[in-house]
Amino acid sequence: MMFHETTNVLGRPSAALGAILVLVAVLAFVPEAGVSSRIISLAITAAINVVVLYGLSVLFGQTGILSLGHAALVGVGAYTAAILARDFGIGFWGALPIAAVLSGLLAIVVGFPSLRVSGHHFVILTFALGQLFTIFLTNGGAFTGGATGLDLQLPTSVLGLPLDSLAAFYRLSLLFVALAAVAAWGVANSRYGRTLRAVRENEKLAGSIGISVGRQKVGAFAVSGLFAGVSGVLMAYFLRHIAPNQFASFPSIYLALMLMIGGARLLFGPLAGGILVSFLPEIFNLDPVESRILYGVCLIAVILLLPQGVVGGLAELWQRLTATRHANPAAVAPHTISEA
Amino acid sequence: MPALRIDGLRKQFGGVKALNGVDLTIGEGEILGVVGPNGSGKTTLFNVVTGLHKPTAGSVTWGGTDMTGLPAHAVSRAGIGHTFQQAMCFPGLSVLENVLIATEHHGNRRAGDYPWTTPVELLDFVGLSPLRDAVAGPLPFGSLRLLGLAMALAARPALLLLDEPGAGLNDKETAALAGLVKQLPGQGISVCVIDHDMTLMRALCPRLAVLDFGTKIADGPTAAVLADPKVLEVYLGGEL
Repeated sequence: MMFHETTNVLGRPSAALGAILVLVAVLAFVPEAGVSSRIISLAITAAINVVVLYGLSVLFGQTGILSLGHAALVGVGAYTAAILARDFGIGFWGALPIAAVLSGLLAIVVGFPSLRVSGHHFVILTFALGQLFTIFLTNGGAFTGGATGLDLQLPTSVLGLPLDSLAAFYRLSLLFVALAAVAAWGVANSRYGRTLRAVRENEKLAGSIGISVGRQKVGAFAVSGLFAGVSGVLMAYFLRHIAPNQFASFPSIYLALMLMIGGARLLFGPLAGGILVSFLPEIFNLDPVESRILYGVCLIAVILLLPQGVVGGLAELWQRLTATRHANPAAVAPHTISEA
Repeated sequence: MPALRIDGLRKQFGGVKALNGVDLTIGEGEILGVVGPNGSGKTTLFNVVTGLHKPTAGSVTWGGTDMTGLPAHAVSRAGIGHTFQQAMCFPGLSVLENVLIATEHHGNRRAGDYPWTTPVELLDFVGLSPLRDAVAGPLPFGSLRLLGLAMALAARPALLLLDEPGAGLNDKETAALAGLVKQLPGQGISVCVIDHDMTLMRALCPRLAVLDFGTKIADGPTAAVLADPKVLEVYLGGEL
């Protein structure tokens, strides 16, 4: 492509991806430092969330559609993994593509009628979907295990080697964080990503230049569903027991919160949001009620003060500092930060 | 044979008849002007042709194909482009990226003979190359108009509908825009333009159609139409 990639605060857009991959590689050595199992468990939970968040960043960051029912799509992945293991003896790696596709398909089924409405109405519909999914799981009898949920017995293994230690599963989760980041970066820096941003920026104009806005919205929802399905499989194999309330509206709201706090348009955003929100209660030693209050306060602060999230705010600060130093002329596209 | 043929087109919004049976043709390589007082149905006509609104009755035929009621993206891919009255862009993206996106969805029409194949060539044509890396949103109005034109051309239309392209421009900008639009028929692009600026319309359009209350009241060579007493009466208040 002849298209000249504009540089930005993080260098070329690929620099952000490089930095993330290096960071993930460094984080893989954390268990060697003698960190407690509790912290490693928290980190795995954070990593599993970050995988969904990268999918949500395609949906919300690139396409501008907010979903408050995404935990349901994670749930499809988790239950697919548990049911495949129980009924067919299909393990972790076999469950991954099947779960991803099923979550993507559910997103399409839900997306077609829902995306005919826009903005707030769609958000409410996704919220309702989350609740509906929980009701379905709770009343699914032996198939879904009802309110008690399902246990997952199969071991996780890589090339025949069992991943029975917490540290091993942690590294597996980090691998998927890296893959999710690469996938999200690939979307953002492709023709497909540009098309999604066109839909986000101006639907009417996008239609006038030949973009099928409805199809692109459903497609983005399905793409984010693929990430959610993968995340669900990881979650099922990590927790070994899944239940309907893990995929209700509250977890969905937490996902949206993490994305907004981290920043939806930046490649670092999902990673930062997932880590911050997962570890904040631990850092400040908060009980669940206090942490919910803190999340609420954080969300309000982010929406008012940092519309591009913490990472976006930091990037902007950096840009301001360097701009004064270089007396940078005004309007050099800051949007490229968002695609970094 | 006309490129675009509009027959008995009606559009009703509740009790308002925005279009009340309009017949209109646009020939190949033609620049047609559509004028009329505010609320006469000009923009509604464009919106129905381009698929933003579904017509209540009537038909739109494009090169022999029935286009009535097709969605906007399908109309664009079939070769009917348009620019908006409000000078739209993708505000958070750079000028270059705006045009780049628009070049990516033309459905490969006119692959061999289209004069502008890259975004850079389009920006050169409209004169926005110096601003290629600027964010589109905060651009001055005149630049946004040119960007809109570049994006519409990027979609490779064979017919371009321009909705008040001169609105908000100063005389110099209007003249520059007219200069660009005049080149389009030579590149195989017919043009239909709505505007209130009679100087611009006289300069651009050999043929003029006049709408009033959703009905076409005149259609013919510009000079003759502007001398038509009916037109002077309803549109220009009796004198020109």
